[in-house]
Amino acid sequence: MRIVDVPGSLDDRTIDQFAASVGAWPPDDRLLVDARATQFASPAGFTALLTLGQAVAEAAGPRPLLHLPTSDNVSSYWAKAGLLEHAADYFELHGKVPRRRRAEDSDVLLPVRPVREQLDVHAIIDGINDKITQMLTEQLHHEASFIGGFSQSLSEVCQNVVEHAGTGGWVAAHTYLFRQRLGRNVAVISVSDAGIGFRRSFEGLHARQLGDRWTDGAAIEAALIHGQSRFRDPGRGQGLMAVKRFVSKWNSKVSVRSGTARVAIGPRNWDDEDPRTDDLAWFPGSQLTIVIPAKAGGS
Amino acid sequence: MIAHIRLDAMILQTVARPYRDLVTRPTGRAVRRQVMNVLQEAANHDALLDFSDIGVVDFSCADEIVAKLLTGADGVGVTRIVLRGLSDSHVEAIEQVLQHHGLVVVAICAGNPAPRLLGQVNDDDRAAFHALIAAGRSGPEPVATALAWSVERARQALNTLVGRRCLLAHPDATFELGVVA
Repeated sequence: MRIVDVPGSLDDRTIDQFAASVGAWPPDDRLLVDARATQFASPAGFTALLTLGQAVAEAAGPRPLLHLPTSDNVSSYWAKAGLLEHAADYFELHGKVPRRRRAEDSDVLLPVRPVREQLDVHAIIDGINDKITQMLTEQLHHEASFIGGFSQSLSEVCQNVVEHAGTGGWVAAHTYLFRQRLGRNVAVISVSDAGIGFRRSFEGLHARQLGDRWTDGAAIEAALIHGQSRFRDPGRGQGLMAVKRFVSKWNSKVSVRSGTARVAIGPRNWDDEDPRTDDLAWFPGSQLTIVIPAKAGGS
Repeated sequence: MIAHIRLDAMILQTVARPYRDLVTRPTGRAVRRQVMNVLQEAANHDALLDFSDIGVVDFSCADEIVAKLLTGADGVGVTRIVLRGLSDSHVEAIEQVLQHHGLVVVAICAGNPAPRLLGQVNDDDRAAFHALIAAGRSGPEPVATALAWSVERARQALNTLVGRRCLLAHPDATFELGVVA
């Protein structure tokens, strides 16, 4: 049995510690994912947990164990956020499993949902209803035009899974107080898949030309910074460019992790992450996170 | 005559569910094929794509429907394609994809009956477009007067807009927007 430690706070940055704890891939032993001490998980954390479970299943590995957080409040939140109903499909759950099912009337913007086909994307966007619109406007204080861009970005990042991953993925969106880095509310959208990753997705275009320089980081930059697509259709590659424009307009951040690299585009006034980080611990598939802060000075 | 195409009805036929959002590339592709079928019946007429009851339009769908329809419009023989009932977020997506492809289209936004151009268009052409709308059907002279241009400059801008299927040209050397609402 290999113990995989879940950090006390699992988010788009601490996923690196989580990935390091997974170790060699595919795992040569059954995994015990230990979240007993975990106090917080962002949408990036939830979707990464499910991605790990899915990747083990797709690699025909032994069903991992997931030890739930000891804190009743934390595990209840995990249930409310929709994690546990999906985690039960991939993990043997241990610890006190809350009875509470996913609550559609919770303060979670978008509970964890699978993204496998285009109709999933339709259902997700159709779910951005009046209540969610009200939550976003009340908590982030952005003008009404923000909602359209939020939905468009959500749609584009979900479609990337369907079009490029070669397998299914997960999406979640929450709002919460980003106390340490901002002292303001943020909305966070995360999408993660257990698929082939950016490097393999683009391999046919660049691998021969760039040789050893064709890395995970180079592949993410090709898509996120340069808007390249593996398709010949000149209309392709606009989705991530649109996400980039959206985050720029709303003082927000987008980061993409794939394989052993992460590329981040964020405003210097609140984000200190390096634009590109290589040589991270390998993690299956691709993970994309958008962090949208509340308008400064909003009441 | 104008062929009026309600895109909400096209979505219903395409995804067979009561969704009102134009999202995902496969949906855009399927909706475009349906629209093309309608346009085949509307040769030599204008076609009005009505977004009035559409929720979200994402960039992929805007590319598949609007950009690819405009680039393929020659093949179906419609005079022009005009967009109607656009919200601000529709405009943002459609404008971006049209600029990406170097295309332009006449559009009427929700709550504002004044026609506008969306996409890649230079300052002269945009100014001539608005001046002609104010003048009504006319030759280039009123446009040139309104903009303090030479007649030739006005004629050139109007002809460009005709070539890009934004205005109609008549045998008597006049131009007009025509009925687009």
